[in-house]
Amino acid sequence: MDFRETDEIGLLREAVAGIAGKYGHSYYVQQSRAKEPTTALWDELSAGGFMGVNLPEAFGGGGGGMTELAVVCEEVAAVGCPMLLMLVSPAICGSIIAKFGTTEQQQRWLPGLSAGRKMVFAITEPDAGSNSHSISTTATRHGGGYRINGQKYYISGVDEADAVLVVTRTGIDERTGRGQMSLFVVDTDAPGLTKETIDMQILEPEKQFTVYFDNVEVGPDRLLGVEGEGLRPLFAGLNPERILTAAIVNGIARYALDKAADYARERNVWGVPIGAHQGLAHPLAKAKVDVELARLMTARACWEYDNDLDAAESSNMAKLAATDASLAALDQAIQIHGGNGMTTDYGLATLWGMTRLLRIAPVSREMILNFVSQHSLGLPRSY
Amino acid sequence: MNVIVCVKQIPDPALPGALDPATNTLKRDGKLILDESDSYGVEMALQLVDAAGGGEVSLVSMAPNGEVSGMRTALAMGAARGVLVSDPALQGSDALTTAKVLAAAVRRLGGADLVIAATESSDGYTGTVPEQMAELLGLPSVTFAKKVAVEGTSVKVQRQTEEGYDEVTCTLPALLSVTAGVVEPRYPSFKGIMAAKSKPIDEVKAADLGISPVGWAGAGQQIASVTQAEARAAGEIIEDDGEGFTKIVAYLENLKVI
Ligand SMILES: Cc1cc2nc3c(=O)[nH]c(=O)nc-3n(C[C@H](O)[C@H](O)[C@H](O)COP(=O)(O)OP(=O)(O)OC[C@H]3O[C@@H](n4cnc5c(N)ncnc54)[C@H](O)[C@@H]3O)c2cc1C
Ligand SMILES: Cc1cc2nc3c(=O)[nH]c(=O)nc-3n(C[C@H](O)[C@H](O)[C@H](O)COP(=O)(O)OP(=O)(O)OC[C@H]3O[C@@H](n4cnc5c(N)ncnc54)[C@H](O)[C@@H]3O)c2cc1C
Repeated sequence: MDFRETDEIGLLREAVAGIAGKYGHSYYVQQSRAKEPTTALWDELSAGGFMGVNLPEAFGGGGGGMTELAVVCEEVAAVGCPMLLMLVSPAICGSIIAKFGTTEQQQRWLPGLSAGRKMVFAITEPDAGSNSHSISTTATRHGGGYRINGQKYYISGVDEADAVLVVTRTGIDERTGRGQMSLFVVDTDAPGLTKETIDMQILEPEKQFTVYFDNVEVGPDRLLGVEGEGLRPLFAGLNPERILTAAIVNGIARYALDKAADYARERNVWGVPIGAHQGLAHPLAKAKVDVELARLMTARACWEYDNDLDAAESSNMAKLAATDASLAALDQAIQIHGGNGMTTDYGLATLWGMTRLLRIAPVSREMILNFVSQHSLGLPRSY
Repeated sequence: MNVIVCVKQIPDPALPGALDPATNTLKRDGKLILDESDSYGVEMALQLVDAAGGGEVSLVSMAPNGEVSGMRTALAMGAARGVLVSDPALQGSDALTTAKVLAAAVRRLGGADLVIAATESSDGYTGTVPEQMAELLGLPSVTFAKKVAVEGTSVKVQRQTEEGYDEVTCTLPALLSVTAGVVEPRYPSFKGIMAAKSKPIDEVKAADLGISPVGWAGAGQQIASVTQAEARAAGEIIEDDGEGFTKIVAYLENLKVI
């Protein structure tokens, strides 16, 4: 077992940290305040080929895996610029199309994704969040293709994307009563597709949308995989989604720990640096331990995924461990900064909403614990 | 057009440095990185080759323990190959020996239209290696280059001076030492990073280059002793009660700077 990172990963970290470092957290705050996407940073990373590191070389990607994508995502977050759409566009949509798209579909979408064009992902509905089986957006056969009707919400970045990968129901399984799912790629400017922004209490450069599908027509070439068997391609996107969530919050955690340690070494209230008070030092040290453990599990999940092993358990565990560790690290970093912790300038409270969000989305803490209870511990299914 | 760039691999300046008490030289046993000073030379070389419409950028480096991390960074940026001279016998080499070694490495690559080094390294900063190399290679050398353009068989250089800059034209082949900030070093692309792994680095010993004596034996100087630099006295802190500026003005007047 060799835990050292390769030279390539080292260079990758340096390059991405270098590029993202030119922008930094103040850029993230400025764009978020202006409700503008972090386009300049995204484009510069795309130009270096970093947004498509995990996609096949044959379609303009980097030919790497989740390991490389997670490193990119972590390094960008570690300068205080977490990028939610990385987990959606190259990770979920890119992985699904790379694994389940026909050659034509791959030709059509992967070169764009590799170059940093965005595709977003829509599964959540007002009556189907954690329980995806109960989605009610339908796709019905019409002419040679399909007609999509329904409503999705909390869909990130629809305004920035060329297309949206939509999870629909094309039938009901008679035996289980569950929906038979089908996945479609729909252009964001398709007639019948409308969107409304949702006002969020998160300082983020992306916007969230409710998306309405009103008789949106798509051709049969928009169906990913087999009609009614959408669960298989859907699952291909789930582990990448969890791994990338972990990568984002691992980056935020590193950012917070660095700031906290710097501050605790310098700030002097009673004649010694406040880092000398164990009441402050120990929670930070504990956070550091938990963050490193989470990063280790994230690396393992990447490795399993990239080696075509079953990465479900490790991806879920990494996601949960990383979000909890990151929140604890950020919380302690804010505490160490006293009143300064709550200012915009010190750049910590500004990340609270994003970090807190990732305990809920894209899959909640409870749903992961359900998974671990059932699959890792063999406990009865609880829902 | 072919360019050779000298790339020094140095201990990370962000980490605290240490001297080896036995030899009084810098400890270099950890991982070494590309000296930032040389990233400008690499970028400049890549741009010149690009502008010329063809050719290659090669690297020469002398470093302990077969270290190639810093060279890989330059290869990821776009250089094509490199020669690394790594040899325990080189331990203790002074700047002239370093210049001899690097000059021989340049010859091993078959020379080039242009050899580029930095004005001075970030860790040793004697600022003497490039000019010694030029002499050994019989090349004209231009120092403090802040802007460089190749025109036909000559190179036009803006040479930084205290007042402004000189315009120097010099025939190729030549050796330039460039200043920091001449160009903005690129970040390697992902493709560049992945390609760097398979680019050739020719690792040789001093004897392969026919150079001896080297190391302590070859050094024309010896480090007799090392003493701690004098600690600077603590500064004076002036609390600004609205009249702070008068104290600052008085202080500066006292120094006779205003
Ligand atoms: C900012 C933001 C961005 C998002 N981006 C996207 C996107 O781009 N695309 C997309 O499709 N979706 C997106 N989502 C939706 C997100 O994936 C869901 O919010 C998330 O999956 C939780 O679903 P829900 O909100 O419906 O919560 P619910 O399913 O209503 O759950 C409510 C609470 O009950 C708990 N719970 C539910 N079932 C169980 C159970 N069996 N056992 C224990 N506890 C349970 C949950 O953990 C949660 O705490 C986004 C959400 C947000 C807030
Ligand atoms: C007696 C003596 C013994 C020494 N012993 C040792 C020792 O044991 N170990 C040790 O590490 N140092 C030792 N040094 C220091 C060492 O000689 C210098 O660091 C080295 O010769 C280069 O000098 P510099 O960094 O000052 O080069 P500068 O002249 O400041 O460098 C200018 C430029 O030349 C190029 N260049 C310089 N060195 C290299 C290189 N090695 N590879 C590629 N390009 C280069 C770079 O472009 C650099 O920016 C010793 C010095 C003396 C005087």
